[in-house]
Amino acid sequence: MIRADQLASDARVAILNSIRAHLAESALHEHAAEDRKSERAAENQPTSIALASSGPDVARSPVETFREKLEMVGGHCVVVRDEAEAARSLSRILAELQTTPLRARRIALSDAPSVSRLIKAAEIEVDELTTSPNAADLFGYDVGVTTAQAAIAETGTLVLESESERHRLVSLLPPVHIAIIKAEDICLTLGDALRYVRRGGQPGMSRAITFITGPSRTADIELTLTIGVHGPQELYVIVCM
Amino acid sequence: MTHLTSETFDANARAALTDTQLRGALRKATSLFGERRLEATKSLPNWEDLRSQARAIKDETLLHLDGYLEQFESNATQAGAQIHWARDAAEANSIVCRLARERNARLAVKSKSMATEEIHLNAALEAEGIEALETDLGEYIIQLAGETPSHIIAPAIHKTKGQIAELFVDKLGIERTSDVSKLTSTARQILRAKFGAADIGISGVNFGVAETGTILILENEGNIRLTTSLPKTHIAVMGIEKVIPSFANLEVFLKLLPRSGTGQHLTSYQSLITGTKRRPEDEGPDELHIILLDNGRSRMLARAVTRQSLACIRCGACLNACPVYQQVGGHAYGSVYPGPIGAVITPQLFGLAKAAQLPYASSLCGACREVCPVKIDIPELLLYLRAKITEGPERQEAGGGWQEEGPAKRRRLEHLAFKIWAAVMTRPRLYEWNGKLLRVFQRFIVRGGKIGKVGGVLTMIAPPLGAWTKARDLRPIDARSFRERWRETNGFGDD
Repeated sequence: MIRADQLASDARVAILNSIRAHLAESALHEHAAEDRKSERAAENQPTSIALASSGPDVARSPVETFREKLEMVGGHCVVVRDEAEAARSLSRILAELQTTPLRARRIALSDAPSVSRLIKAAEIEVDELTTSPNAADLFGYDVGVTTAQAAIAETGTLVLESESERHRLVSLLPPVHIAIIKAEDICLTLGDALRYVRRGGQPGMSRAITFITGPSRTADIELTLTIGVHGPQELYVIVCM
Repeated sequence: MTHLTSETFDANARAALTDTQLRGALRKATSLFGERRLEATKSLPNWEDLRSQARAIKDETLLHLDGYLEQFESNATQAGAQIHWARDAAEANSIVCRLARERNARLAVKSKSMATEEIHLNAALEAEGIEALETDLGEYIIQLAGETPSHIIAPAIHKTKGQIAELFVDKLGIERTSDVSKLTSTARQILRAKFGAADIGISGVNFGVAETGTILILENEGNIRLTTSLPKTHIAVMGIEKVIPSFANLEVFLKLLPRSGTGQHLTSYQSLITGTKRRPEDEGPDELHIILLDNGRSRMLARAVTRQSLACIRCGACLNACPVYQQVGGHAYGSVYPGPIGAVITPQLFGLAKAAQLPYASSLCGACREVCPVKIDIPELLLYLRAKITEGPERQEAGGGWQEEGPAKRRRLEHLAFKIWAAVMTRPRLYEWNGKLLRVFQRFIVRGGKIGKVGGVLTMIAPPLGAWTKARDLRPIDARSFRERWRETNGFGDD
């Protein structure tokens, strides 16, 4: 009997050989041999054409741009001066949600210290407050509260890095996601954010990086926009100056 | 619904043209996507630069695909992912099935992936007794209905909400409703339970970064995040052409893809996954398996003209822009890849003989080329494939995987007709006599100054005449030719 790993290495060799053979054929046929540079290295690939930044948006303050872009995609944004005001904002958001069918009685928190600090400072009445509930229980929570490691002003996007915080599921399973972010962590452009998460190279990168732009959405039925299909239907971001 | 095939595009298209509901839905979808795309591209002052840059990155990658794949493999492995190589659909399916069997999996949740559609992974898993559940809302609807997607990014656009409600009443036992948000929340509730119970999550890949071993997947609904976060095992099926050199390259593609697809500046979610979690107590799957799929792709590298097919990022913009797709929809193409891009990659992936009608399913208007974010010259490819079909197997050059029987025979007659035409056109005397002859013959079919519907013997002699006049009139040849008038008047007007 042929072993599975033997088959696997056969496939690998066969595919790589097929790629090489067909590229060689192409080079012969099109005299394109000079295109196939002898040395290929990650550092000399073409990132040459400079990307102009995205026009007038970036001229304004990143916080204002972030708020505007987030609201355009159906997210809510509150800008506050300090943690005390952030706590009051959080209480107000939760109190408002409690008057809606979204309830906001069971609150799941990520393990970020600033999240616990904030929730302690907030004056709210809830049935349950749990830090990092396990995945199976998380389905039953009304709200998830996390921070974000960065944001992108030009698109209104939150950037979550798994290495910094346990927020992969808390930001996903409950129907409401509330994120707190420091104003100084907002990058201007998508390119800036990509450079930020890539800092220190692959060994230092988070294993799961999530970009979040607004609530979950679909238009799969007759192109009718529906908010909140699999992910949260409400997204609140509190920006702390 | 019966499954349509690419071999019968002409018949499929004819049937689709009589479906007024389908054509209404297509009109609405393609024009809306088209408008949104245009608006979104205007938000970037350097759209054309971005397109050129994206294409340059893809060209560079494809010319060194072997090296970039090895680099991707090595970096993803270093981060804890396991890489598998699959030459064809059967090999890819057997790898997924083996992984599922070894883990005693009963339920796999799936997020939308063209590659898994291409290899018919669901059927392979079901044959093993493993439930494969589509979780993208559109795909879920289609799976319930036992149909196939009709659009790359909006798989269920051919169905009305009434039909979907009917389907949900029938299959899920809900009460009848025409409220789209109720239908959506029904699917949400059912699928949430499944996410919690699934043993395996299966996804596609939009981009694989060689430099870091990262895979990037875009979406709007959140089902990809659930698929790739909750089950213990994540299996990602990735076409070998999905690799790009560096992490920084993502910027260009993240600007182009959502704008071209749905007209969004960014989709709701991007998941950038690099290997597996560092510590066992971290969130996320224990295992990540990435299957690198060839399935006919590597042979497209053999020519520059076919190689560009591999630059496609599956945005769907060419579908929306295509006057043929706008009328007949995705199912007529009989392929998981419909529209202009489907018309060029289906014959290349699955064989000319199986899709010989598809390269002709185009007016060559070039709208697809205009909107393509990676500047694929689809009309050039269509002409290339038509030439291959016309040449027939004996005249095809070695290599490129084009030695095939079948479709060529049908085009021989056309070849002969053009030879005669060329002979007449290059001999002035013959041309003149030919005109005189036709003027005599046309007397029998001219009625009221025009040639109406032509049938009978004439259609047998010249089939195109019958096809053309089925829906329009033909202008008869003038009583005097241009040359005759020129001779009579020495080139001055004769009125």
